[in-house]
Amino acid sequence: MTPLEQLEGFPTYLANNWDTVLELAIAHAIVVGVSIVIAGVVGVGLGCLTYRNQPARDAVLRVTGLFLTIPSLALYALLITIPGMGFGAKPVIVALTMYALLPIVRNTVTGLLGVDPAIVESALGMGLSRGQRLFRIELPLAWPVVLTGVRVSTLIIIGIAALGAILNGPGLGELIFDGLGRFGTPFALPIALSGFLGVVALGIVFDVFFNVVTRLTTSRGVR
Amino acid sequence: MTEAMIRLEQLTKRFPGQSEPAVEELSMEIPEGEIVVLVGPSGCGKTTTMKLINRIIEPSSGRIFLEGEDVTAADPDQLRRRIGYVIQQIGLFPHRTIHDNIATVPKLLGWSDDKIRARVDELLETVGLDPSRYRDRYPKELSGGQRQRVGVARALSADPPVMLMDEPFGAIDPITRDRLQNEFLRVQEDIRKTIVFVTHDIDEAIKMGDRIAILGERSVIAQYDRPEVILSQPADGFVEDFIGSGASLKRLNLARVRDYELGDWPTGRVDEERPTLLAKLRASDKGAILILDAEGRPQRWLRPRDLQRPDASLSDIGLVVEAKVEPQATLADALNELVRSRVGSAVVVDKSGVYAGTVDMDVIMTAAEAMRKAARADARASMDAESSAGQVR
Ligand SMILES: Nc1ncnc2c1ncn2[C@@H]1O[C@H](COP(=O)(O)OP(=O)(O)OP(=O)(O)O)[C@@H](O)[C@H]1O
Ligand SMILES: [Mg+2]
Repeated sequence: MTPLEQLEGFPTYLANNWDTVLELAIAHAIVVGVSIVIAGVVGVGLGCLTYRNQPARDAVLRVTGLFLTIPSLALYALLITIPGMGFGAKPVIVALTMYALLPIVRNTVTGLLGVDPAIVESALGMGLSRGQRLFRIELPLAWPVVLTGVRVSTLIIIGIAALGAILNGPGLGELIFDGLGRFGTPFALPIALSGFLGVVALGIVFDVFFNVVTRLTTSRGVR
Repeated sequence: MTEAMIRLEQLTKRFPGQSEPAVEELSMEIPEGEIVVLVGPSGCGKTTTMKLINRIIEPSSGRIFLEGEDVTAADPDQLRRRIGYVIQQIGLFPHRTIHDNIATVPKLLGWSDDKIRARVDELLETVGLDPSRYRDRYPKELSGGQRQRVGVARALSADPPVMLMDEPFGAIDPITRDRLQNEFLRVQEDIRKTIVFVTHDIDEAIKMGDRIAILGERSVIAQYDRPEVILSQPADGFVEDFIGSGASLKRLNLARVRDYELGDWPTGRVDEERPTLLAKLRASDKGAILILDAEGRPQRWLRPRDLQRPDASLSDIGLVVEAKVEPQATLADALNELVRSRVGSAVVVDKSGVYAGTVDMDVIMTAAEAMRKAARADARASMDAESSAGQVR
């Protein structure tokens, strides 16, 4: 069977297996979603804690930057050697969280440092405390930039999450590896393709989602 | 003298890594209800001095008293809620509506929503912005001048006894600046706040200040006195240079039209006969007669040759009255109008536009003479007071 003939089998495959594909896509989205929420909280937190202190800021950016240079397969391999980690969703979420940190921390820091100093000074002059300035003034103004970081992270880890199938992690990676494993059989290409297209579709869904979130959570005054 | 609203005692600020202090041993008293202007060359430490008062910059040594209370070590956030703060860049919160910007401090102080809303509307009215139109807008939807007004309203929101204003009208075109200054002086007549106002523009200082502190390097006070005294008796060469030439002209900025006897030009009504008008004009020593409409509002200047033209109607001939000032305008404004006018006289009109008199060269000269005398008497009196009290202000 030529690849072209296999491709013709794709619609039939999808029609018969759409529920499996959808199930895996949802599992994929959940793994990505959980990781991005954790990375969001940790990353924004780290950004808020360190943006005013250059040595701390540089250290955090360097370490989270380092995470991103570790090849994902190597990181997965490394993680399963940690006692108690095991296989499945857990090590995948840990890895994805690590990869998602840098863009979030970096954009949080950039966003906070980019707030007009005159605005911060007038807030200070009015007697807003450190926390009130951060949560009521600086973070809301940095918010669009922070969200852009979260969105970039999400797109990065959607792809990396697919490789999580190696550790029996849930998600569309299962289809891709399954397809690769059946190389030469009639369904190899349709299966792998449905995994691949699922990942792309998921990316688009997340992108649209963040567009909506950005619109809803950004004040009209700074749009 | 009653307890000053703000008292600075030997305040010094050294920034780390700088050999010279930015402010050195500054002692000064700021009386309640007055506008005290800090003026001096760029970099002399005006902004630093102001920020020492609300402790945005912490002093290296010295003490700060607010309403008699030592606040040098008080909780800075609590302190700042008692002090309104306006900076040149305004610093409105772009993500918040005008209402929410103005409501910032009242919210921190835990006011009820109803009270806050009423206060915001009241303040918008005070600064000349229609609440229903502007309250729900965002800062980017306002002009620069409107934003500056909101900045002032925001600083006034919790009715603080003290306001600090750092070049509040610095980044605005001259015409709008003039209007905002006038409006602010009008507001201040009602609210009587104690205001520390920073500028590097001596003309603004003269216009705005009840007292002016001329600062040199390291915020050292070269002279601290009422503007008329500074203009007539500069303490030293530095002050003289800083005032620049034209001190007498500048003094006209201190005088209001309403405080002087106005000039008297012949007037007539549109419905009067020409020979009557001409007779009135001839009876005076002036070169033109001012024609008023039925409500008493000035319309046109008519010179003898206008009146001798039989053909045209009275409302088409002569010169349209353009140079008009209101009683609260300064003599400098009036002089400016006078020079523009082709008959050598600025017409004074009240709020509803009704003729109240004129300002001509005679009025200006008489006023200048009166001011010179008053300043001399003032200086003598304050010298006497100082020598009898045995202290220097
Ligand atoms: N944060 C700072 N760190 C170090 N030096 C400072 C700081 N702020 C001000 N200075 C220095 O202190 C001096 C006084 O500055 P300041 O801003 O008070 O001047 P200014 O009178 O307000 O001037 P301008 O009219 O230009 O606004 C200057 O020499 C300035 O360089
Ligand atoms: Mg300054």
